[in-house]
Amino acid sequence: MIRLENVSKVYKGSVVALRDISTDIQKEEFVFLVGSSGSGKSTFIKMLLKEEEPSEGTIFVAGKDIGQLPRWRVPYLRRNIGCVFQDFKLLANKTVRENVAFALEVIGRPKNIINQRVPAIIELVGLTDKLNSMPHELSGGEQQRVCIARAMVNRPPILLADEPTGNLDPSTSADIMNLLERLNESGTTVLIATHDHAVVDRSRKRVIELDGGKLVRDQVRGVYGIGG
Amino acid sequence: MALRVNYFVDETVSNLRRNVLLTLAAVSTVSISLLLLGVVMVGGEVLTKMVSSWEGKVELNVFLRDEATPDEVKALDSQAKGMPEVDEVFFESKEQAFEEYKRMFKDSPAITENVDPNALPASYRIKLKDPNSAEAVASRLQGQPGVDEVQFGGEAMKRLLKFTGVVRTILVIAIVLTLGAAILLIANTIRLGIYARRKEIGIMKLVGATNWFIRVPFIFEGTVQAALGALVASALIYAGKVFGLDRMQDAILFLPLTVGSGSIVRMFFTLLLIGIVIGVFGSTLALRRFLEV
Repeated sequence: MIRLENVSKVYKGSVVALRDISTDIQKEEFVFLVGSSGSGKSTFIKMLLKEEEPSEGTIFVAGKDIGQLPRWRVPYLRRNIGCVFQDFKLLANKTVRENVAFALEVIGRPKNIINQRVPAIIELVGLTDKLNSMPHELSGGEQQRVCIARAMVNRPPILLADEPTGNLDPSTSADIMNLLERLNESGTTVLIATHDHAVVDRSRKRVIELDGGKLVRDQVRGVYGIGG
Repeated sequence: MALRVNYFVDETVSNLRRNVLLTLAAVSTVSISLLLLGVVMVGGEVLTKMVSSWEGKVELNVFLRDEATPDEVKALDSQAKGMPEVDEVFFESKEQAFEEYKRMFKDSPAITENVDPNALPASYRIKLKDPNSAEAVASRLQGQPGVDEVQFGGEAMKRLLKFTGVVRTILVIAIVLTLGAAILLIANTIRLGIYARRKEIGIMKLVGATNWFIRVPFIFEGTVQAALGALVASALIYAGKVFGLDRMQDAILFLPLTVGSGSIVRMFFTLLLIGIVIGVFGSTLALRRFLEV
């Protein structure tokens, strides 16, 4: 589903963010990308979304070399990747329902599909009673669930989460991870960048660890993750 | 595609409503900028009319010698009519000149009684297409057989023409300046509005919106704001015409002071067009920076 071949990223001013990374994430896998701040996790995620270009190497998403993707195709790449962020990135002047519906409007889905899918996915994340609330009226955990609903509503094959529990307390974090695991079980490939030890230890999934831009550990499923 | 248009219209309306303050700020900035431009345009039209009416009064007087032969007069007539600068030529005979003279001094019979009807010369009055050519035409006619003297207002007219020329130049400069100010003000307001929503644009990009999908609602909004602004500005100018210029015109009859409603309508469409062009280009340019994610 996601494959990196000898990918390096050097930012202007010769800051090396990633050095010669090669890895392969299969369909329906659940993977943690761990490492301390500045280890290159965010660069990794940004390159998958083509927000950043690798300096060297090739990245494949869903079998396609995204380096070859013309600029105007980038929005279509992003429709295959649901995104969840530490700071939620919800639209502050839209309600919960509208925030989720937005992801479908943007890709031109007709109204009847929007009206049918949006309440369903909001129910899945357990926010039916907050359908018409504004983001600022919600707790952090609720906002993150809206964000996940938005990421999943157009049923992308891949879900990327950048520090999804970074702003949440431990028990809320556990709820969010349960939700993500359930999505994974329903067939979505999930990649979570995090430095939350507790979350990684609890889940016991495949762990890829970055340190100073290098891949230093890749423990496949079945090996108990110890955290980054 | 019909669905898309629905979405764009909904989105535009709800954005305008939810960002009431930004919308108000934008509409009033557009109104004020276009009002300024419209006032200069209307003022310019009034001044141009006034200046043209003054210039239209400039004419050459070619006085003929009493002993000029009919052939000489005829030659002069066709020469004057053949000049490219000349608009119209009127002949005034000795008798007509005397009648005119009597009419001018009809209140003082003492002056007219002592004048021999033959004392006044026959003359040609020549209207010019461009008053600036008066001196050149005059010097060409001066000294022709049968011509006694050519008068063209001389220094006074030169000063008038210099003045009207300055007025026209100032008008052009004023229009360019106010247009420039309007462009800067409106473009800047649009930039602020877009900057206030840069986060929203970033999120749209991340969920896979194409650039056009993001751009169109902004362009629609800019167009609506520009239209509202042009409407407000034109309404204010129309009020200014009815309550200001028209009343002044009633008081001062001899100067063309006012403009027709037709010019206000034309000005509204001009302002609308300017507003929309600035709105569309301004938002497209301002968005470019935020679309490159």
